[in-house]
Amino acid sequence: MNLRNRPELQDRLAAEYALGTLRGAARRNFERWMREDAANALAVSRWQAQLAPLDAGVVPVTPPARVWRAIRERLGEQGRAPGFWDSIALWRTLGLAASGAAAILLAVVLYLAPAAEAPASYFAVLSEPKSQKAVLVVSAGANSDQLWVRTLDPAIHVAGKSLELWALPRGGAPKSLGLVSREAQATLKLLAVADRSLADVPALAVSLEPGGGSRTGAPTGPVLFSGPCVKTW
Amino acid sequence: MSNDALGAGLTALLAACARREQAALSRLYELSAPKLFGVALRIVRREDWAEDVLQECYLRIWNHAPQYRAGLATPMTWMTSIVRNRCLDWLRRPRLEVSDEDGALTDSAEGAGEGPLALLERSDEAAGIARCLKGLEPRQRQAIMLAFYDGMSHSELASHLREPLGSVKTWVRRGLLRLKACLEAR
Repeated sequence: MNLRNRPELQDRLAAEYALGTLRGAARRNFERWMREDAANALAVSRWQAQLAPLDAGVVPVTPPARVWRAIRERLGEQGRAPGFWDSIALWRTLGLAASGAAAILLAVVLYLAPAAEAPASYFAVLSEPKSQKAVLVVSAGANSDQLWVRTLDPAIHVAGKSLELWALPRGGAPKSLGLVSREAQATLKLLAVADRSLADVPALAVSLEPGGGSRTGAPTGPVLFSGPCVKTW
Repeated sequence: MSNDALGAGLTALLAACARREQAALSRLYELSAPKLFGVALRIVRREDWAEDVLQECYLRIWNHAPQYRAGLATPMTWMTSIVRNRCLDWLRRPRLEVSDEDGALTDSAEGAGEGPLALLERSDEAAGIARCLKGLEPRQRQAIMLAFYDGMSHSELASHLREPLGSVKTWVRRGLLRLKACLEAR
């Protein structure tokens, strides 16, 4: 939706977003519009700045020491992540990722990443059904709400359209995980940590959607890629 | 430390986080965690949940530090909005457990009554918004404060205040418009 021609609606939505009363699907939609049009993001920033002095009304509470300890531990896990992704790049040059079935790549992932050092615990490799060519690798740590999305083939993007990533829960309707970035590597935010949001999701899929993603909350375009999503450890 | 000096310090620390200096995150945490924990605790109303939220938010701050733009928001505003967003997401989870089972946190929040307003009036930076808030109709003020501090949605406001949803939405909308007009007139 173009809010530029509707400044009052834009201002109202931005205000309710900053205040927190914009919820659920409306909040998600507006977040998408913020990504699509910087004017919307700017309107939110202005409201957040105006409401920010209200934070002086919150009594500070010192968190227990275990919170920082947990953050430090998780930073340590993250610190090992780049090496892991570097090795994906390596397999790509070896032609592994492009050559065979997703299962091969998955097997290599499992082989190369011993449990003790593994930053990620959920893995999905999405491929093109006809060619079996792997095009996306998706992963997340069990206790993380960050979903890593690695695009192996930049040519999958279509001008003016968006690729939307979906979780296909067992016995449930597809749930949007967000849009596939045009960057080779990007993160998406899960609604809850992977152990909650991906535990019962045996597969992921990518559909072709209008620019900015599906307007309905369900896939509307053709499913281009899909693949199994597994918990590895 | 004055707020400006604190802000400049936090901006420098975020820049260091963007360069992957973990010591900077540690210092940033020391300076900002009590405030952010206060915000989270008030919204999710359970200490263990607020701890989880805080943990996730500092990892997010660390990961997104390169995207922080000093021109758009102060570091505190940027970090607080990350915490608020995460808290609202948290509240969307299916409620398997009850938030604030014994009501202790609610009591302390409500018992304080005009607590936030009194704190705002004592703060130099917030005196202006406190005056503007006091200029709102009481129902508008109450709805806006419950939404901001306690993370209540329109429907939660309606059931909490025992008023029709439509009225609550109107109070929030009109209250925000009046608040904006007042803040911009200063």
